[in-house]
Amino acid sequence: MLWYKAWLETRSRFLTSLATLTVFCAVFVHHAQGILRPEWTPAYNRLLYIAQQYIVVLWILAVVLLGMGGIVREKATGASLLTLSLPVSRALLLGVRVGVGVLEAIILAVVPWTAIFLVSSHAGMPILVSQVGFYVLLLVAGGLVYFAMAILVSCLVEGEYTAPAMAFGVVFLTIIAFDAWLRPLNLWRLITGDFYIDRHTYLLSAHFPWLGALACLFVSAVMLLVSVKVVQRREF
Amino acid sequence: MTGTPVIQTRDLTKSYGGVAAVRGLNLSVEPNRITAFLGQNGAGKSTTIKMLLGMVRPSCGDGTVLGKRITDAKENCEMRRSVAYVAENKPLYGYMTVEQTIRFASSLYSDWRTNVAKKLLNEYKLPLQRKVKSLSKGMRTKLALLLAFARRPELLILDEPSEGLDPVGIELLLQMLVAQASQGVPIFFSSHQIAEVERVADDICILDNGRLLVNASLDHLRESYRRIDLVFPFAPPEYEFQIAGVERIHSQGHEMRVFASKNAEAVIEHARDLNAVSVEVAPVALRDIFLETVKEN
Repeated sequence: MLWYKAWLETRSRFLTSLATLTVFCAVFVHHAQGILRPEWTPAYNRLLYIAQQYIVVLWILAVVLLGMGGIVREKATGASLLTLSLPVSRALLLGVRVGVGVLEAIILAVVPWTAIFLVSSHAGMPILVSQVGFYVLLLVAGGLVYFAMAILVSCLVEGEYTAPAMAFGVVFLTIIAFDAWLRPLNLWRLITGDFYIDRHTYLLSAHFPWLGALACLFVSAVMLLVSVKVVQRREF
Repeated sequence: MTGTPVIQTRDLTKSYGGVAAVRGLNLSVEPNRITAFLGQNGAGKSTTIKMLLGMVRPSCGDGTVLGKRITDAKENCEMRRSVAYVAENKPLYGYMTVEQTIRFASSLYSDWRTNVAKKLLNEYKLPLQRKVKSLSKGMRTKLALLLAFARRPELLILDEPSEGLDPVGIELLLQMLVAQASQGVPIFFSSHQIAEVERVADDICILDNGRLLVNASLDHLRESYRRIDLVFPFAPPEYEFQIAGVERIHSQGHEMRVFASKNAEAVIEHARDLNAVSVEVAPVALRDIFLETVKEN
């Protein structure tokens, strides 16, 4: 039932994000249908590449918001006393919250791209399933770093507005800083597919960057472990 | 008092920066008893309870609840399966409905009693489909109490349980406390409502400035505390009555009032030796014991 609690806590944020992303994608494709002819495949692929940029922005906004909450936030409302009196460890509480958040983040990546795929097929501009899968995998594998970062911030900062403001600040600063000084390691360019796009066909290259994805998952895992330690040491 | 204490602390201390919230607390709560935890605001009651439940780490000292060490995270978690706790301000999840809250709590505890939960739900007239955030303070308190009383715990810890309740609700609460205790559930509760405490408590703990000043049975306190009003043919010297057990002396003209926590007989005998013309001995209500103890500290 801890899963149920985590779901109820994030439900409205998740459904709002899901609706926003899905509607955005459907409108985007519908709009593209009006301005493109079916034979202009590279142009349409370019539009899909641009769509991924917008999806990434909205997705990061969504997962950072989904990462907010938890017992540190509950401390401000007083509900942490109820949560901490439950016969479960703090690590398990955080683990369940992360589990529900990751599932929601995956759905937020899969559903919009599924919507694009279906609407495109229906509109007579079919796209490759492998391209859709590539975009989704990039989004999930790389983007989980932002989710883990949001979890870490939510374990360190308890303010209702301070925590998301700080999380968005960190996202923005890392994108700017990495682009200026460490561009090959810029997560933003990995998630959007910028590193792997063929500038002529606007298709993603055939090989998925497993090493980069694993590195991202490792960084996420480290941040989540730090979050567990922070919550275990914290007083309420 | 028999059996292993359900709560026992040894030199339990908590400091925030340079400020000590709880100082060297040696507390013992006996099984099968209702123990009241009294103290002014900021005396350290809630901090003590939070340390017992593992929400706050003691600066030094240790303790056990139901035989489990409070400073060991695993043992503390195990202990919380058997403890029902109602926190101060009755925190609940605002995004859940009453029904969801009950379903959530019932899934976490093996000692949940569905029939009792249903009975209390009817008694408290709680709207099942209403979100907790839209409940009144009294309703929230009732829901928090339901979550505790619907269980069959080995220990009940209540922090200001009557806060927010109307007189009818308070009456029901007191009856519930007595019923739980009669079923063998020890209760440890903090309160500012001394009249309520006096009606139900077996044992009294008084905390002030983080120090435990009293840890005794209510009967013992009633037997040993006395207010002695004396009248002398002359202005009595206070120093004559500074003997063991005398907590406070107040004299005005030929009259003197002595507040004694023990040794009342010695005071009376001494007064008679000094030719007191009137000696009146009266028992002391818990309210006065509390106020005098706190004042003295």
